[in-house]
Amino acid sequence: MSISLAGLTALVVGYLALLLVVAGATRRGWIPARVVHHPLVYGLSLGIYVNAWGIYGSVALATQIGYGYLDFYLGVAGAFLLAPVLLVPILRLTRTYQLASLADLFAFRFRSRWIGALVTLITLLAVLPLLAQQVRVVGDVAHLLTGSASPALLALLFCALVAAMALVLGARRTHLTADHASLVAAVAVESLVKLVALLVLAGVALYGVFAGPGDLQHWLDGPGQSFQVIARRLDPGQWRTLLLLFFAAAFLSPHMFHMAFAQAPSRQALLQSSWQLPLYLLLMALPAPLILWAAQYRDVAPPQAGLAYLVFTLFDTPGLAGLALLAGLAAVCGTLIVIALSLAGMVLNHLVLVAHPPGRHDDLYRWLLGLRRVLIVAVILGGWVFYRALGGEHDLASLGLVAFVGIAQFLPGMLALLYWPGANRKGMVCGLIAGSLLWLAGQWLPMLTGWPALLFIPPGLELLAGEPVWYTVTLISLAANTLTLILVSLVTRTSEAERAAAEACSVDAVIRPKRLPLSARTGEDFKRHLSDALGPEVADREVDAALDALGMSPQESRPYALRRLRGRLQANLSGLMGPSVARDIVDRFLPYQQGPKAATDDVHYVESLLEAYRSRLTGLARELDGLRRYHRRTLTQLPIGLCAFGDDDELLMWNDALARLSGIAGASVIGARRESLPAPWAGLLERTFERPGSHLYKQPVELVGGTRYLTLHTADLAVEDDERGGTVVLIEDHSEMKWLEDELVHAERLASIGRLAAGVAHEIGNPITGISSLAQNLRYDTDDALVLDTAHQIQALTDRVSRIVGSLVGFAHGGDRGNAGSRHATLDVQAIADEALHLIRLARSGQDIEYRNACPAALTVQGDAQRLVQVLVNLLGNARDASPPGGLVVVDARRHDGGVRITVTDAGHGIDASIRDHLFEPFTTTKPPGEGTGLGLSLVYSIVQEHHGQVRVESPLPELGHGTRISLWLPQAPHADRDADEPDPDR
Amino acid sequence: MYVYRIMLFLVFGGYLLSPMLMSGWAVPGMAWYRPFLIWGALIALSVWLEQKRKLDEH
Repeated sequence: MSISLAGLTALVVGYLALLLVVAGATRRGWIPARVVHHPLVYGLSLGIYVNAWGIYGSVALATQIGYGYLDFYLGVAGAFLLAPVLLVPILRLTRTYQLASLADLFAFRFRSRWIGALVTLITLLAVLPLLAQQVRVVGDVAHLLTGSASPALLALLFCALVAAMALVLGARRTHLTADHASLVAAVAVESLVKLVALLVLAGVALYGVFAGPGDLQHWLDGPGQSFQVIARRLDPGQWRTLLLLFFAAAFLSPHMFHMAFAQAPSRQALLQSSWQLPLYLLLMALPAPLILWAAQYRDVAPPQAGLAYLVFTLFDTPGLAGLALLAGLAAVCGTLIVIALSLAGMVLNHLVLVAHPPGRHDDLYRWLLGLRRVLIVAVILGGWVFYRALGGEHDLASLGLVAFVGIAQFLPGMLALLYWPGANRKGMVCGLIAGSLLWLAGQWLPMLTGWPALLFIPPGLELLAGEPVWYTVTLISLAANTLTLILVSLVTRTSEAERAAAEACSVDAVIRPKRLPLSARTGEDFKRHLSDALGPEVADREVDAALDALGMSPQESRPYALRRLRGRLQANLSGLMGPSVARDIVDRFLPYQQGPKAATDDVHYVESLLEAYRSRLTGLARELDGLRRYHRRTLTQLPIGLCAFGDDDELLMWNDALARLSGIAGASVIGARRESLPAPWAGLLERTFERPGSHLYKQPVELVGGTRYLTLHTADLAVEDDERGGTVVLIEDHSEMKWLEDELVHAERLASIGRLAAGVAHEIGNPITGISSLAQNLRYDTDDALVLDTAHQIQALTDRVSRIVGSLVGFAHGGDRGNAGSRHATLDVQAIADEALHLIRLARSGQDIEYRNACPAALTVQGDAQRLVQVLVNLLGNARDASPPGGLVVVDARRHDGGVRITVTDAGHGIDASIRDHLFEPFTTTKPPGEGTGLGLSLVYSIVQEHHGQVRVESPLPELGHGTRISLWLPQAPHADRDADEPDPDR
Repeated sequence: MYVYRIMLFLVFGGYLLSPMLMSGWAVPGMAWYRPFLIWGALIALSVWLEQKRKLDEH
């Protein structure tokens, strides 16, 4: 069959236009975000793996080696089934350190720009046959369908179109990952086109050529048998080697690495692709034998271009041939575009920028973008040049095998990167060079030049001499690569920087960054330092972006935060210019300061990493991590303030109790230097650190809630066999104890005064008794009315003095709580109120307050007179203090609910709502400092409880809108008249 | 993590035993789609393990 050149051109242009529309619609947000970012779209985009070989070459392979063609799909499916243990760790690294390619990853891990350059060079050499394979398919199909005499020219035009497409899809912005949504969407559409086209062709083969699966089975069991004899069975060793090659290609080929890691939307999406991609590959693999058997059934002769294009001869109708063409077109386009994008980034970062560091440019971003665009076009055109250089002798499978054996040379290095922290750069370089030289000599150069393959078969493996070249080269080159890597790594020294990077990359190790100070002191400093390398504008943008990503302010000065900022900046610059150049810039312009002491681990950061790794830990490590968490929880939830400092005075821990006490969240100060902590902590801790191992007792500190008294204890954490030292500080809040001590001193002083008063009263009592007796005698000795009146007044006054003295003596002896129960008696409420009022009137303050005793006579309660007087004195004192000048304080009582309810009512300002709920707690007071102890009402509550009574507070009074009423309910004396109870709606 | 071990076991077991697949090519009496059925079963197992892993992580 044939299609006109115009028709072919229209199909190609139409297909590319469809991709443009998809990419544009994604970029402009016309396609809903939930669709664009759906894991299925990402899973489909990984179908980029099925290139022209997968579409056309599978039929040829199935003809030659039967189910051996499945290797191409099963190897990749196996790699993705292992996504959680193999691919997710790589994704973690690429996302954390902004690594966009395999060369970035190796250069980061082995801390060598030479490794980046070497990996780029080998990738370039390995990918050229793959690019040529794609271009060749275009030329072959164009020739097959149009009969064109110049397929190479048509292929060149096609490459030019694809290059333009690649620029639109992947080089609109500077960062490799910037356009990822539109690129992923476009590649997903390509995968969908391939899948639908091949499934339709398979359906036509199964139900159009055969009459369904049963008919096919019947044919295979009968006449079809004769066609299958040409299919030879692959040697199991060859099968497994092919599987290994395709397994490696799944994540080491540049286009797969780019789509799987650089474009991955999330870890979850990659995990879901662990079954999505194998399912996609199953569906893509299914049509190949069906098409082959249908062609054999119809006895269709293979076209001149080769068995691979059998499909075009079988489906000799424009529609079905167009579908077959579309499937191939989608495969070729996707492969070329993504390889060009990824390879251009690698060449730029590891060859161009390493050879010519960026320096200061007016517009660095534009300069980098221009370079990338040139490289994208160069890669695609390079594929065409290689296709022309190869000529037409090589089939799709041989081209593909050369590429995949070359790519597999990265497998030992990648496995070492993930699972062997002991591998070093010398081992990696030597292994890679050894394996690659064997590959170049055995496969690549013979393919290009036509020279015989140069095979280095070691003694003892002579039996490999008769095997296919690809098989021999794969085994020998990978063995040489692996052994060299291991041996050289074991016998050579690994640098500190490399060891740290190995820990960052290794699956089983946690990165342990060191706590080193930076020369830059703030975020703003970073801009100034970096502007020498990047220019002020780019430096500002990059530092601001890093600050934003970390949620920090430009004034951030904590060393811990600055180290995170430096790491983020390096990662961001790595995304822009590759890890080698980024590391050079950061090391040079944002250097660490080397102090006299050896740097120790960044403990806080290591802990935060361990938190993130929790789900990856198993066995003993998980148990130990559980213990670590328990001990950490013990410290963070300790009810006493605790903070810990490293040897360099950097704050490593600030526990919850200290955060509550200080009002400073741990996250905002951890990582800060001791001297830069907010006041008063810096000064307080400075005093503690002046005398290591010492204790500071009850230091007054002004905090948000007022003055607190803190006791600090320090301990040195240094031990002989651990480099991690530092100091731990325990901070106890002794404020309440201090206040209690003050109160005790005050109470003791009052007690002394009471004893003094009792002594004085006793001394005064005798003369007063004498005066009273003399006055009485005077009354008997005279009838003079004036003298009698005078004697009466003297007696009245001496009685008053006696009462005062008696009250003072009684109050002074009233604190004896040990005998409280034995002194309970029937008490007259009115008399108690009178005595309390009498005492309160003795005070000099409150002379302008009017007191009224409204208690009815003959109302009795059971209790200790002195203690109940003390209760009333306290309540009356509070009422007096709260009342305005001239205010009225009323003591009232009445029978109620089987007892007596005594109320003390004032018309003062009332009690603040904020303290009403804990009014009876010790140290609660509304009085100014120094005027109230906050113990009065607590004492009231305690005494009333001893009397089996109750206390209630009403404030403000409903009838006044202000004022306070304290009600005491006390049990009635046993002989009191209970019939006289009055109802009280309040109770 | 135990889920991953099952998958590691399956993939490496499959790698070692997979050459047996080739023996099914156009063998009389053997269903032509047998390799695809085995493959499909492995994918179904993978989906199930993925669900289990999600539950383990939450």
